[in-house]
Amino acid sequence: MTMDRRRFLQLTAAGMVASITSSSCSPDASKDARALTQPELLEMLGPERVVEIGTKYRAAVPKENTAPALRAAIVESERRRFPLIWSRSTAEQIRDDFDAGRTVVVDGWVLSTTEARQCALYSLAVQRS
Amino acid sequence: MHTDARTLPSGSVIEGDLCIVGAGAAGISVALQWLNSPRNVILLEGGGFDEEPAMQDLYRGNIIGHPYYPLQAARLHYFGGTTGHWAGFCATFDPIDFEKRSWVPHSGWPIRREDLDPFYASAQKILELGPYDYDANDWAKRDQDLALLPLDPDIVWTKMWQFSPPTRFGTKYRDAIVNARNVHLYTHANVCEVEANEGLSAVDGLRVRTLDGKEYRVKARYYVLACCTIQNARLLLASNRRANTGLGNGNDLVGRFFMEHFEMPCGEFVLRKPQSTKMKMYLLDYGNTKARGEFSLSPRVQKQYGILNGTASLDPGALGEPVKSTFEFLPPSMLKAIDEWDKGGRHGPIPLIASLPPSALSPPPGPPRIFHVMTRQEQAPNPNSRVTLSSEKDAMGMPRVNLDWQFTELDKRSMRTYYRIFGQEMGRSEVGRVQLRDWLLSDDRTWPSFLSGGWHHMGTTRMANDPKQGVVDANCRVHGLGNLYVAGAAVYPTAGPANPTLTLVALSLRLSDHLRTKLV
Repeated sequence: MTMDRRRFLQLTAAGMVASITSSSCSPDASKDARALTQPELLEMLGPERVVEIGTKYRAAVPKENTAPALRAAIVESERRRFPLIWSRSTAEQIRDDFDAGRTVVVDGWVLSTTEARQCALYSLAVQRS
Repeated sequence: MHTDARTLPSGSVIEGDLCIVGAGAAGISVALQWLNSPRNVILLEGGGFDEEPAMQDLYRGNIIGHPYYPLQAARLHYFGGTTGHWAGFCATFDPIDFEKRSWVPHSGWPIRREDLDPFYASAQKILELGPYDYDANDWAKRDQDLALLPLDPDIVWTKMWQFSPPTRFGTKYRDAIVNARNVHLYTHANVCEVEANEGLSAVDGLRVRTLDGKEYRVKARYYVLACCTIQNARLLLASNRRANTGLGNGNDLVGRFFMEHFEMPCGEFVLRKPQSTKMKMYLLDYGNTKARGEFSLSPRVQKQYGILNGTASLDPGALGEPVKSTFEFLPPSMLKAIDEWDKGGRHGPIPLIASLPPSALSPPPGPPRIFHVMTRQEQAPNPNSRVTLSSEKDAMGMPRVNLDWQFTELDKRSMRTYYRIFGQEMGRSEVGRVQLRDWLLSDDRTWPSFLSGGWHHMGTTRMANDPKQGVVDANCRVHGLGNLYVAGAAVYPTAGPANPTLTLVALSLRLSDHLRTKLV
């Protein structure tokens, strides 16, 4: 039985993103690693669309075209808004984005900035794999 | 009573108390209010009781602005009018639609939504709709499967629509009209000129022709033009024997402000939790659904972003599949094929399936998760969007029309902004995600070639208290002419987000009430 492309993308990207996130030594590094490796959009839109969104995001925001830059942007964005809270989940961060109107349109999708960056991280992982 | 005008001797003069020109939704709605009254009512219909190519050809016109549907196919020229092929979608205009909106030039009606409410309630019966209740919460209480999505109504609210069977006025009300002793229907009677008196203060009579060359006159105390938005303007402009620019056109407003509803597939919507989200409230099972909700931006949001009013509906589908706009979905050939299928006893599949997206023919198993989002948005009132007379004449000798459909920057910006906010709210409420179509992404005022209206013709004789701002007053009387009125969507100063039929029937009933005070 052959593994279809969709499943292959999910598995390889999950492994790659997990290694990207856990290699950081900041206190936030382990936080939400799973959320970053498994953005909810994967389930909603499928891995190919998530890769497409992520690729387009990186093309539109060249300074966030690396995994460290993306992860830093996600963490920094949270830290700016909640300096006294040690850690919030990615899901909470996405909700906050929508609440505050911090949205971007990527490939036509209206997304929170955090989840757009998640897609970008995911697309990088797939690229490496 | 009914007389085929072709059987009348040329030169005849017909007299009555009230003459209604046009037997479509507006004209028949007015006539129904006068059944068995002591007044003699004349109802003039240009066509017969069924479609005739020669009659339809009288509606042919030139499209000189943005591409538009062929005019002779967009309207029906026989008893019952365009209700002969309408789909039955009904919703009220919102209170904000009647208001003067600082961000919408030329907006504001001289009446309020409350003024129409009692007539909306009566119009529901004429259109065979359910209770006069457009509150989504009330509908949710009636049926527990009609659950509302957890959206913030101060941002996106659920606007309810109801569905007429759809009522075909030509069959539903034919007997009532034909059997009425005091209402005299004349078919094949085409009004070619509205004749004003010398002082241009009132209408003296109507000049009527038949296709076989007969001509006669109609005289009444009051006249109501109810022969559709384009034809009403055409008739006033062509009645230029005493007034060079046409009747009621002293301020160059007749024919201007032609409006449509933009009906376009604008995006996709994906549910976050498909298995636990009830969507019956928002889905249409045509022929069975009594009411459904569409998504509308709150008045506060419209004001904050300075945008027009509109709604969006959902149709189950698949991501990336082609979806057609209304004009693409129902080209004239398709309308004709459906009509023949209907009249031929409905054998075999309805021809419409050729226009459906693939997912509609073989839907994926389980509850739908992906939806195409279809917009209905009002068009901003625009004096440059207009109907004028052509130098070409029809078989009756009437000048044909030129339709110059034009848009403003506000139209496209409103649609783009709507989807951005709609997408944000769907994300914020954790209901799902929204994707905008490519053509909606560009920050400009260009439109795709498949831009579509909904065959909703509005404006051209707009309503305003000030004769410099409108052709008719708040009672639908043509400014300056004491006994000439206009019924139908032609009087709308703004188009609202809802299809026009329910409101035009309500306005016709209101006009009828007003005429009752005159014809005592």
